[in-house]
Amino acid sequence: MTGYVGGLVFGLSGGMVIALAALFGVWWERKVAGRIQMRLGPTEIGPAGVFQALADTIKLLLKEDITPRQADKKLFRVAPFLVFTPIAMSLVVIPFANGWAPLDTSVGMLFYLAVPAVSVIGILIAGFSSGNTYATLGGIRGAAQMISYELPRTLSVLAIAILAGTLAPVEVMARYEWWWFPVSLLGFIVFFISSVAELNRAPFNIPEADSELVAGYFADYSGIRWAIFMMSEYGGIVATSYFGAAIFLGGSQGIGGVLGVLLIFLKAILLITVIIWVGWTFPRFRSDQLLTLAWKVLTPMALVQIVIVGVIIPWL
Amino acid sequence: MAVRSNDGSGAPPNGHIGALEHESDSVLLHINVSDEDRGGVGGFVDSWKSVFAGMKITAVRAMGPTKTVQYPHEKYAVSPRWRGALALKGVLGRDEIPIIRDESPVYNAVIRDLYDRERLPPCVGNCPANVDARGQNYYLAEGMTAEAYELVRERNIMPGVLGRICHHPCESACRRNYYDEPMAIRPLHRFAYEEYADVREERVKVFEQTRDQQVAVIGSGPSGLAAAFDLMALGYRVVVYEKERAPGGALFSGVPSYRLPRDVLSTEINGLVDMGLDLRVGIEIGKDVPIDHLLGEFDAVLIAGGLQTSRIIPVPGHDADGVRGALDFLKDANWKGDAGVKGKRVLVIGGGNVAVDVARCALRTGATEVRLACLEGDDEMPCHPWEIEEAVDEGVIAMCSMGPHEVLTTDGVVSGMKMRECLSVFDEMGRFAPNYGEDYAEVECETVVFATGTAPVLHDLVAGSDLVLNERGILPVDGTLFTTVMPNVFACGEVVTGPGSAIGSIATGHEAATSIHRYLSGASLSENRTDRPVPVYENYQPARLDGVEESRKRVKMPMARPEDRRKDFRQVETGFTHLEAVNEAARCLRCQSEVCVGCTFCARTCPDYAIQVQRVDDPGQRAITRYDLDLSKCSFCGLCAEQCPTNALTHTGQYELSFFHRDLMVFDHDEMLRDCGGTRATGADAHTQADAEEAS
Repeated sequence: MTGYVGGLVFGLSGGMVIALAALFGVWWERKVAGRIQMRLGPTEIGPAGVFQALADTIKLLLKEDITPRQADKKLFRVAPFLVFTPIAMSLVVIPFANGWAPLDTSVGMLFYLAVPAVSVIGILIAGFSSGNTYATLGGIRGAAQMISYELPRTLSVLAIAILAGTLAPVEVMARYEWWWFPVSLLGFIVFFISSVAELNRAPFNIPEADSELVAGYFADYSGIRWAIFMMSEYGGIVATSYFGAAIFLGGSQGIGGVLGVLLIFLKAILLITVIIWVGWTFPRFRSDQLLTLAWKVLTPMALVQIVIVGVIIPWL
Repeated sequence: MAVRSNDGSGAPPNGHIGALEHESDSVLLHINVSDEDRGGVGGFVDSWKSVFAGMKITAVRAMGPTKTVQYPHEKYAVSPRWRGALALKGVLGRDEIPIIRDESPVYNAVIRDLYDRERLPPCVGNCPANVDARGQNYYLAEGMTAEAYELVRERNIMPGVLGRICHHPCESACRRNYYDEPMAIRPLHRFAYEEYADVREERVKVFEQTRDQQVAVIGSGPSGLAAAFDLMALGYRVVVYEKERAPGGALFSGVPSYRLPRDVLSTEINGLVDMGLDLRVGIEIGKDVPIDHLLGEFDAVLIAGGLQTSRIIPVPGHDADGVRGALDFLKDANWKGDAGVKGKRVLVIGGGNVAVDVARCALRTGATEVRLACLEGDDEMPCHPWEIEEAVDEGVIAMCSMGPHEVLTTDGVVSGMKMRECLSVFDEMGRFAPNYGEDYAEVECETVVFATGTAPVLHDLVAGSDLVLNERGILPVDGTLFTTVMPNVFACGEVVTGPGSAIGSIATGHEAATSIHRYLSGASLSENRTDRPVPVYENYQPARLDGVEESRKRVKMPMARPEDRRKDFRQVETGFTHLEAVNEAARCLRCQSEVCVGCTFCARTCPDYAIQVQRVDDPGQRAITRYDLDLSKCSFCGLCAEQCPTNALTHTGQYELSFFHRDLMVFDHDEMLRDCGGTRATGADAHTQADAEEAS
């Protein structure tokens, strides 16, 4: 019984955190994008427009939740949650403070890599159930892309797992040493690029591809269900950035308390900013370029990285 | 794909990214895109270089200043030329019309300042003496006749006289020419004079003599009196010498009394005497008193002697009995009322205003037939068109394109004139070079009057002084400072300018007075002295009057009937009534005053019918009661602001207008008068409105 109550409390607070993270992410993206385009971004609601996303959320909640007549209605309604839930779950293993993660498990890294991959199914379902050609194409593209990038992403994390000798993120953060960063730099780059692709972010936003597919797999969604898709996107950004900061950048670097929390937070913010920055810098890839990059560049790079940490370093 | 960063130091890049090139705020924008696509490790490195080049561009952009602003807290300053919503600067009934008024030595600077700011009314700009006609019209419309008279008198000295004889360049430049008919500025001068008669006694203000220097003025014509008036106002003692028995100079001996009744002239000059002018008539300098005497007694002497003699063209027979000069003729006609032409036929040679005066005087002194012959064709006569029109009405026969060839005589007495056809008067260079044809005509007449030019007679005047005349009998005078070779002798009027207008002479009088004031107060004559600007105004074609309401037209000057007026020297124009004058003064558009007078020309010109103007027209309390601009109709074409004669209607830099209610898009009277800074759209000045309500 206590397990259920704890799960409920955990789930609710996790949902709240991810919602807040999404709000912050939307605002921060609009600010950064604005500056890159020599605009100010939101300025009016709250200091520097920080509550703009909140106002938008209220608007979205009040909007009509439309289900298209051609849609497979049950699947259409359930798809956003299938996308959102795995990403929300992935946050569980992230060490937000020194030596603490909501769920401190010995297979944390594996959990993090495996669980969000389930959202591919949600994307496919969303695309198919819309009964819309564009959405279907977007869903198929999303599935192909995300499955392709699973491989380099997983391989790149392997390097750190070898160095640390553990799969628990909390342990990795505790054992982190500064020279891991240069040694695992190649892996970090692979991890970063594949994560951007995994999140369907520009320049890998082929499944959404506004100019080609309207909005891809969620073209027919509106109101709160559309907002859930957006929340999973920004939740994914936050989760990836935290995970990258914890695994590759040393997280809190052994500093406990508030300072440690702040340190990992700042590192995560840095990664979020870079993701946005990249997104507003480069044009979208073509599908073939996307796959070429995954199989011919990133996967070999990840393998080279494993050779570096698995063969060269023990040999030294 | 290979994009290389070229930090501006290398060879000129051959493939610019053009859209970014105009930005100068970062050097990394010189990016060279090469065509080659390297493979292998080189291509891998190139790719990464291009990735970082792109990221650098966006990073620099993000760090730099934004091109947008935080609306509505800050805004770009947009020039009104960009035509935002309209605003009014002032309206009649709330704001005062600016009156142009200052001491003579600084008056030019005032005019120049207005001119530079494009705030000089065209009537004032075109007047040689810059009389504030706009101010006069304002005062008259408000019923302040005495103030109007005194305002005009400061610049043209004798509003009653100029109100009858001026050639009114003000009316030629009047902006109403463009819309319907020009303002009757000159008749209003006259009206102001006539009304002023009632209060003249009580409003006499004697100029106090605050300086111990004295100035002598030789000649009591318009220029001499203008200089005397200015100098008295500056506190000098001024003595005016006049050689004739009555003052006025050319105004007395040259201008016929049917145009200028002599009692008007004497009233005006007496007014000056009442203000402290020492006027000595019947004293001819050079004959009765030598000029040396004046030079010894006075600190400065001003020669304003005018032109005394007519030039007679030396055609064969020009010395015969019956050939006369125009000035002699007019002098006889004006002084004696009889020019010796009773029952005779008169031929006037010349096409100027003097010739027309001679012809009309000849009619009035009993000539049986008056002909006027001039070289010019009937459309290029140098006189004012209304002058010859009135003369022809009275019976003068105009013979245009005819030049004098020979005076026919019988026993030394004129019996006629042989005329020769004139084909053109001026050559291609614009110089006077009459080209005669082969046709001749003979005109029978007993008297020939040459009105072909006048000249000064100064030999007696300058005798015994250091002043010298040139070989043509003309005194050399500086044309802008009005100085002569002697530092304490100045000259003004037609002595300097040659034959001209009364108001032109008055303008030279003001300038000469400024020079004398500077000389006597020890200042440099030319330093920091402002020339009056001479704006060029377009020559208006008569406006089309069909569809123009009667109330918008110029009030007609009542005139005596031609058959009555040709017989005597009573004035032809009979003057405005009080109501006519006030109505006429209210027609004034108050050009460049930045105060809307509700002329409705903006509303009339608006292609979208977006403007509605209403004004109350009660004399003395005219006001704009309504000025609505419907922004939902306005297309920002700017025709209204271009049309506005007062410059009160201007565009603002307001573009970002948004409203919660459609009615708010109609800008009413108050909204139009709001400062350009904020509108009801932004609520930027909401607090000031609240303050105003609190105060009321």
